[in-house]
Amino acid sequence: MTVVRAVEQMQVPLLALVLLGGCAAKMSRVLRARSMLVVLDATSLFPPRLRRPATMAVCFTELCLGVGMLATSGRPWHGWAAGFRLATGLFFLIAMCAVVELRQFRPDLGCGCLGSLSSKPAGLRTVLRAGLLAAAALASIYGGELTLPPAGPAAALDLGILVAEFLLVATLSPEVSELLARLGYAEPCELRVAPPHRALASLRRSRAWRRHARLVTRRLPVDMWRELCWWYVVYPGRDGAGECDIVFAVEIRPRRPAIRAAVLPRAAGPSPEDAPARAPTATAEGLSPAF
Amino acid sequence: MDGRPAGALCCGRCGGPAAAARAARRQRFRAAVSARPGDGLSATPGVVPVGRAGQPRRAGHPGETSPAAGPAYQDGAGHPGGWARNATRFRTVTGTLLDTSPQILVVATDQGERRLALIPATSVWRGGPAEATGLRPGERVLIRLVPGRRDAADKVWASIGRAAGTISASGDGQFVVDEGTTRRRQAVVIAPAAANRIRVRFPQLEPGSVIDMIGLRRGDLLEALIPSTSQPACLASKATRGPAVARTAAGTFSGSVTWHEPAGPGEEPRGAAYPAIDPAAGCAEATPSAPCPAELPYLAVGSMLSVHNECTGATRVLPVTCCAAAARLFHDRCLTCGTSPRGRVADLTLASFVELGGDPERACFNATVSVWP
Repeated sequence: MTVVRAVEQMQVPLLALVLLGGCAAKMSRVLRARSMLVVLDATSLFPPRLRRPATMAVCFTELCLGVGMLATSGRPWHGWAAGFRLATGLFFLIAMCAVVELRQFRPDLGCGCLGSLSSKPAGLRTVLRAGLLAAAALASIYGGELTLPPAGPAAALDLGILVAEFLLVATLSPEVSELLARLGYAEPCELRVAPPHRALASLRRSRAWRRHARLVTRRLPVDMWRELCWWYVVYPGRDGAGECDIVFAVEIRPRRPAIRAAVLPRAAGPSPEDAPARAPTATAEGLSPAF
Repeated sequence: MDGRPAGALCCGRCGGPAAAARAARRQRFRAAVSARPGDGLSATPGVVPVGRAGQPRRAGHPGETSPAAGPAYQDGAGHPGGWARNATRFRTVTGTLLDTSPQILVVATDQGERRLALIPATSVWRGGPAEATGLRPGERVLIRLVPGRRDAADKVWASIGRAAGTISASGDGQFVVDEGTTRRRQAVVIAPAAANRIRVRFPQLEPGSVIDMIGLRRGDLLEALIPSTSQPACLASKATRGPAVARTAAGTFSGSVTWHEPAGPGEEPRGAAYPAIDPAAGCAEATPSAPCPAELPYLAVGSMLSVHNECTGATRVLPVTCCAAAARLFHDRCLTCGTSPRGRVADLTLASFVELGGDPERACFNATVSVWP
């Protein structure tokens, strides 16, 4: 009987963690992309005009249920506990039905349950996970107050149940493999956003710049562009032989980027200096308007 | 797919000689600073030497432009993967039709008059399969030459046009399509014979909806005949995005390659619009709601792309001439030969598309694109 009671009680922190984790994952994806569009996968069964409000409603419900589960687990608001736990059970039952529908009508989309981690097409495991969580929520209705167990076997039992259930949920979560892959993944430099002013700052601190600075005749670059993992910066200059262009390549790397330089005699024909000659104003960041 | 920021800075794109000169200059500078130092791609002889202002040199006959004629548009036989070893080399002629008969076409090109023989295998497209005698003098034609011959037409496309973008206004059976901030808005009317087919693919023809249609150009008006995307109807601001473009290596990716009409006489006849221009330079051509594809590497105007048509085996190296604003809106697959990964990885000019062996009426081809060299 003690074990059954412990199982019932341990559903509360587990469900609260899953709900708050799901909400946080969705919110972090929205905040990073600064757009609600990226989390609309979960609501792609709705007509387009309802997807945004539906996504917001799902996030808000997860937050409310997660906080409510925790807040009502102790004595102060325990009277509301059964209501929250029942609502959580219904929420996961609806989620399970939604995933079944998603698999049938949009088999190419992920459920978006845990934000960008759930971008792979929803599988049977996702359905089973939602069902398991619904069952866990319904089982917790008669779990009573959540209290800290006394140190000893009771605490070990609670902890063991919690860990076992987490492992079960993890087994049913296709997102775990994605999460593990991301932990060991750094975004390739060619896909990374790299502000040009950072490249210029790195360049000004470099030995290559000090070596060629005496040739440079203009403070701002006349051309600057980024290609894959490199920023290319071109300054007009003058060496002993006449007009020249000094070209720097600055690697896109947070620390100690590789920097290379070349001096080219100015070719006949259109010069890169023509562009700033027509529009000599710099941008707010002090960059050349050339790019 | 997470969206990436897109700046709003504007610069001269698709601007003919100026843009070509910039591309050529950048290639020269890039080659000088040690040919892509240490980026893991080919660092050897690969830098493509571009002629003055990037203009293709002419082939032996006036008006004919061959991908091999200008160094910037060279055949991909030297590609590290050896893609184009046995690929057919396609050449095209673009111009205005002067006269036609069952045996011969007379075309006015920028470089003079061309007379092209029509062989029994020559096919003609004018809103659908047509007879050569059905073409009308004054029509804009694009002709793919028979491989290995300079005087015979393999396939002729007359008055073909395309509108891909967001509907900005509609009414009286006609609607206006916004293809990006730097292109003129297109007036489109659906041909009655194609109305059912188009309505099935695009049930929502209301402002804000994304569409892509191919048809016959009649002056400023496009008569839509073929729906050219498999993407479900959606509003541009509420497009749902799933897993996208397949990346096989750094700087190499696969997806759908489409085509666009030249924006005007000043646009380079050959080149590629690329959806992931670096945000610092800004995709000046795109509306703010179009997110940058997260799987594509950042490049600049003037970068070189080696485009390999997986359906024909042809490969060409093309310069990036502008940002593909319309391609950002689509997350579709190309089904020309097999099923491509989702997402449009490049939007070629019509001439480049045909020289790679693509059939414009089929809207796209499956392609593998790598950053050259």
